[in-house]
Amino acid sequence: MSELKLQHLDKIYDNKVQAVFDFNLDVKDGELIVLVGPSGCGKSTTLRMVAGLEDISAGKLIIDGRDVTQMPPKDRDIAMVFQDYALYGHMTIYENMAFSLMLRKEDKNKIHQKVMAAAEILDLTDQLNKKPNQLSGGQRQRVAMGRAIVRTPKVFLFDEPLSNLDAKLRGATRREILLLHKRLKATMLYVTHDQTEALTLADRIVCMSMGHVQQIGTPLELYDTPANIFVASFIGLPPINLFDVEIKDGQAVCEDFVLDLSDREKEMLAGYVNKTVVLGVRPEDIVQGGNIPVKVFNNENLGQTTLVSGSMKKHKVTCKFREWCSYKAGDTVNVSFKKKHFFDKETTNAISRN
Amino acid sequence: MNLENDAIIKKDRLRFTKNKLSANLVLLAIVFNAFYFVNIYKSDVGTYYYKLIIGASVVYNLLFMLAAFLSSEGVKSYKMNYSYVLLGLGVGQIVRIFILPGAAKGATVTLSGAEEAVMGNAQFTRVCVYLIVSAALCVVAAVINISKSSTLTKYQAELEKK
Repeated sequence: MSELKLQHLDKIYDNKVQAVFDFNLDVKDGELIVLVGPSGCGKSTTLRMVAGLEDISAGKLIIDGRDVTQMPPKDRDIAMVFQDYALYGHMTIYENMAFSLMLRKEDKNKIHQKVMAAAEILDLTDQLNKKPNQLSGGQRQRVAMGRAIVRTPKVFLFDEPLSNLDAKLRGATRREILLLHKRLKATMLYVTHDQTEALTLADRIVCMSMGHVQQIGTPLELYDTPANIFVASFIGLPPINLFDVEIKDGQAVCEDFVLDLSDREKEMLAGYVNKTVVLGVRPEDIVQGGNIPVKVFNNENLGQTTLVSGSMKKHKVTCKFREWCSYKAGDTVNVSFKKKHFFDKETTNAISRN
Repeated sequence: MNLENDAIIKKDRLRFTKNKLSANLVLLAIVFNAFYFVNIYKSDVGTYYYKLIIGASVVYNLLFMLAAFLSSEGVKSYKMNYSYVLLGLGVGQIVRIFILPGAAKGATVTLSGAEEAVMGNAQFTRVCVYLIVSAALCVVAAVINISKSSTLTKYQAELEKK
């Protein structure tokens, strides 16, 4: 396995539309990096540039110290797993997995050993004589992964591999990918728009929007210390609640509430006195009990937690209580905020990070 | 990897790979059979062949191609019975040498008032070669399939014991 370096990558299409802007990333050996972002943010384009399926307009791509920017895909020693599996329908699972090695004219016995080893890892041994249409979606995705594994590539690329699976199977396959990563200790680049996948799989997450990298960090860093309002809103389910507040007299003030700031927050917001900033509070950081009244309009019990949607005077708010609650529409619940995030209103960057 | 392991891997491969060698040899046998009948039927020797069992020959060619093609698919999946069909077809190809070519060689026919040989030595040699090669390919394919299928059957029995 190996290291991957993406240095100042740009992607500009022939029609002059720029899909990726100055993408920089160093992937360590054995690291699983997840590119996450909404549709059209450039994550798949970046992955395809790494694979060699898209030309790199500017910048360098280095794999294991070797500049592969201009190399054709076949010479990059990369394996890609696609969303739609891309299996050959007329071949058996064994043949699908062995195909790339057969093209390389490898020794047949070695091919057999590699295929059997991959099938063992992926629990596909009993399916090897079947055709893809005889398998379930999850099994087909495992075959696609097996086809990548047998090649023992330097880097694995996954382009939304779980998007075609139902919710239950997605969870199970996600855990399998994680186990696979731990077992193979492979360098992996994984694209998804699903933040749950990103948070559960990644060693580090690259959050993208409109072709720009918004933040690179561990799942906890992105969740706990988002770099800007976009990351704060994108990571976390339900999304973070945002309020415009004015900082004055050691308080954060808006029409709906007045919050006393801690000494640390006062120090952090010293440059914003008498200015409006954006306050972000995650639904799970809102707790029952306090002096902020919320008029409930929806109560959803999810088992261990309850999602309560309500409104203040001006803002709508979503709370995620750890208890089983039975509020009715029109009830008022008093809440307080445990953890607060502050963002510059103009730049949208997190204030705490400055 | 030692030789013993290599031998086991080779056997194990049979469980997941098709017997493409036998199947392709049979397809080649069909091609040589086609060379044979094209060579015979294109002969411009008036109505000579009509007096012989040319209709049966045509039907046999069709049956041969059908049976050979089915056997090709059968041996691809290591089905032993198709080996015997192929052995039969191989013997049939040899026997055919003595039917149409055998009768036509040395026979003469009068065309536009001139007497001509129905089948010259060169054509006789060619059609014999086509039939012999076709027969040999069927037999070799059958033998290979018998060998591979019995190896696979024994190996699977060993695996079941384990």
